[in-house]
Amino acid sequence: MSEILQTVYLNDFYNLQGAKLAPFSGYSMPLNFSKGIIKEHLHTRSSVGIFDVSHMGKMLIPCNNININNLEIIIPQDLQKLETYNSVYTFILNNEGGIIDDLIISKVKIDNYDYFFLVYNSSRKEIDQAIISDLVSDTDILLDSTILAIQGPLSQNIINDLFPESSDMKFMQIKTINYKNENILISRSGYTGEDGFEIIIPNKVIIEFIKNVLSYEETLLCGLGSRDSLRLEAGLCLYGNELNENISPIQANLGWAIPISRIKQGGFKGHKRILNEINNGVSKKRVGIKLKSNSILRSHMTLHDNNEYKIGEITSGGFSPSLNISIAMAYIDTNIITKQIAINCLIRNNMEEVEITNLPFIQHNYKRGKQ
Amino acid sequence: MSEKKYTKDHEWVSIQDEVATMGITNHAQESLGDIVFVELPEIGKLVQAGDQVGVIESVKAASEIYSPVSGKIKEVNNELINTPQLINTDPENSGWYIKINIKKTDELNNLLSFNQYKKIIY
Repeated sequence: MSEILQTVYLNDFYNLQGAKLAPFSGYSMPLNFSKGIIKEHLHTRSSVGIFDVSHMGKMLIPCNNININNLEIIIPQDLQKLETYNSVYTFILNNEGGIIDDLIISKVKIDNYDYFFLVYNSSRKEIDQAIISDLVSDTDILLDSTILAIQGPLSQNIINDLFPESSDMKFMQIKTINYKNENILISRSGYTGEDGFEIIIPNKVIIEFIKNVLSYEETLLCGLGSRDSLRLEAGLCLYGNELNENISPIQANLGWAIPISRIKQGGFKGHKRILNEINNGVSKKRVGIKLKSNSILRSHMTLHDNNEYKIGEITSGGFSPSLNISIAMAYIDTNIITKQIAINCLIRNNMEEVEITNLPFIQHNYKRGKQ
Repeated sequence: MSEKKYTKDHEWVSIQDEVATMGITNHAQESLGDIVFVELPEIGKLVQAGDQVGVIESVKAASEIYSPVSGKIKEVNNELINTPQLINTDPENSGWYIKINIKKTDELNNLLSFNQYKKIIY
């Protein structure tokens, strides 16, 4: 029995553009278009790639004190202090400090009302929505909108040309803009490590909009295959690979996403574990891995010391089109990281030497504001 | 030169003087996408039809390669070590994978004709 897959609104348009489709968390999504994953990847690094990420969950929550207090029980961010038109990366945590989901929360003004706008993982939609609707009232799940990610060093030229009012935006800022009498959201963010924007736009005007975007010669329509290799090079986590309900933000090396004020004050789920891990360290930690031979690292391959003792496991691995070697992210026993010992990956029946590296593999190219 | 034969595992085989040259089909490379790594068997190795002889990896995934016939590995395509993309650009000619000295010629009867293979892929 094959699972019945959902499709995104522009599915027919992508078929006409020669999309190769693949199942991804309940959706049939473009994996790549005719030029293939490597060309799409390199094009995004040098110019502009266009990705449909409408499978992700999108929700508006009225911004009031009751909702803020209730959200801050499960979300270790300072939502009270989040300024309008700004975004933060954060988590939904369980009682044990494990990650139920990672998400972006923005504060936006729509028709003079303040809202939190949440974008969360497709694979965690039902779970997230059940948890959040138990805690806050009047959630509005956006079903009739597309999210287009416009990513790459030249993306600014296109967005500024289409929306001159976006020219002052910095990384992790968001704006509400009127387009053809519809409210659209423009966020300067992404999942590729490049400068880029994510546009949340009502489906009734999306066909015209995407044709307009693709008419710029810098752009190339890309699929989720290159989005995955881009985010791997950028050292960004994928829920289900690097993150799950047993992994804490500290193990995932994402402690930076929890403000010090919240760590001090607590009052959120999993605070005890997170505080303990900050003070006493973690037994395993997310790191970058580079392979010395020209084989390919894949998720679930195991890492070993020279005595073949298992010391870690790969969570995402693949070929890096920018570096022309295989790279991976893995969880490794923390006591190994400080020792300068050789580490091997078991690839089929061979032990092949790997190197632990810092993340990201490719420097982020975000247009940050003055901090 | 005999006609080209195919397997249900999307491999092609071409026989000349009891030597089988094999590779993956154009349909296979299209469905795998960008090939980035090839693992070749050792020359001289004895294989049975259906044995795994190596791996071809695309950006997305690793695919095992099976020997379509029994025999001894005679030659491997070393070009693929530095230029695995040959399998994308010319899968059924210069992107060949290995050559095998055939042991049992009657095994060739188990392989598919082009028309039979076409029915599998369309």
